[in-house]
Amino acid sequence: MSESDVEPKAQGPEPEANNAELQDALQSTEVVRAVGVTRTYHLGGQPVHALGGVDFSVRRGEYVSIMGPSGSGKSTLFNMIGGLDKPNTGQVFIDEVDIAALDTFELAWLRCHKIGYIFQTFNLIPVQSALENVMLPMLFGGMPETDARDKAVELLTRVGLKDRLLNKPAQLSGGQQQRVAVARALANDPAIVLADEPTGNLDLKTGEEIIHILESLVRDDNVTVISATHDHKMLAASDRVVYLTDGKIVDIKHRDELKITAGTIRGGREE
Amino acid sequence: MAQDKKIIRRQIQLSFWKSVGMAWQSIRVRLFRSILVVSGIVLALAFLTYVLSSDALFRAIALGASPELKAELERQGVLTNFAANDATIQSRWMAGLALMISFVGILNAMLMSVTERFQEIGTMKCLGALDSLIVRLFLLESVFIGAVGTTFGVLIGLILATVEAWANYGSAAWWTMPWIKILQIIGFCYLIGVVLTVGGASYPAWRAARMQPVVALRSEI
Repeated sequence: MSESDVEPKAQGPEPEANNAELQDALQSTEVVRAVGVTRTYHLGGQPVHALGGVDFSVRRGEYVSIMGPSGSGKSTLFNMIGGLDKPNTGQVFIDEVDIAALDTFELAWLRCHKIGYIFQTFNLIPVQSALENVMLPMLFGGMPETDARDKAVELLTRVGLKDRLLNKPAQLSGGQQQRVAVARALANDPAIVLADEPTGNLDLKTGEEIIHILESLVRDDNVTVISATHDHKMLAASDRVVYLTDGKIVDIKHRDELKITAGTIRGGREE
Repeated sequence: MAQDKKIIRRQIQLSFWKSVGMAWQSIRVRLFRSILVVSGIVLALAFLTYVLSSDALFRAIALGASPELKAELERQGVLTNFAANDATIQSRWMAGLALMISFVGILNAMLMSVTERFQEIGTMKCLGALDSLIVRLFLLESVFIGAVGTTFGVLIGLILATVEAWANYGSAAWWTMPWIKILQIIGFCYLIGVVLTVGGASYPAWRAARMQPVVALRSEI
């Protein structure tokens, strides 16, 4: 619990020296840690073991992909990490805070300030413009409207949608909608960006553009990106790939072990 | 610790006026559906106001009528009916029925509008919206709809009752007008209208707010 209370302070003004120390301490810690996580659903009275004891952790500023066939527990694990679902047994720590111990307010705070979500289906609010969509998490976070607007414009400019600020999602292409979603995920400067099949509904080229944006977040802003994916292009950008089958981790590959695939696809993009 | 809790609460709070704006926006965007819901309330409230106020108008006319008018009323037999209270009981029944029908209509419309927005609700929860915010948005929406519907309903009901009394009894309808009673009826109908709409919206709103974000996101319509 104590750590959860440290976090809001880190957002506010703090003595510089302390802040640097804190930053150092945070750099070295693992931003996500899952310990013996199990999750069982009941479908029509039949128990379905979506996750059977998963242990893994993600360091700050790492790009991790979770790979696995559908039904492998990929989405379940992803939801656990995002604080969208709670494990039956085991624990999930985000910034060393056990999410099962959080009350509703703290959980909402965590989703608002710590985690940015990107979905396969974009999930923008259809009645709001791109700008309003990006502003929403900041307004939920208590930011004054003018500040939120400025920052939303900045974020949308960053993802290349400067000229589309006032368009509704229906007036944007899939790739553009996903860019809005990326900008929205970054609104409150989250520590973790969770992307659930972010390229699943996009064509090859726009998918690559999204991956490129995500990659630049990790390299330039030290954001942690965790994505569930089927997409091999995505693997090329990852520092680590976690393979999941039948609710268990069967393999973890590091970047250098993925080199051959990575080289081919990277070469393709740079041309 | 308490201080930190306060900070956390402040950092997940959407301002009241912003939520009023959002509720208004979602009514405007779904204008057609909103008009349908509003017209249901208008009908129910117009009927209720009409029944209550024409009753009040008639009582006032009967009490303050000139001897000729009284004799006329006596000949028509309406004063006997009035004494037996038959008409009143019957019309109260009708008003009650109208209320029940519009309650079900409103509940259905609000349920629909929540169901089609499950994904939106899930998304908002992922972005850090509190359950109370979701409830607030839906309740504000229903208060707008209820207020607009009730205003039109009460107006239409009053106009109908007055015109009818005037057509039947002439100018007596004007100079015996029971203003205080009419004001009471307006107040009562407003209360009923708003309670009805907010009541109809609160169950779906509560259900929507309590959904797990995962469930809300996964739902397909």
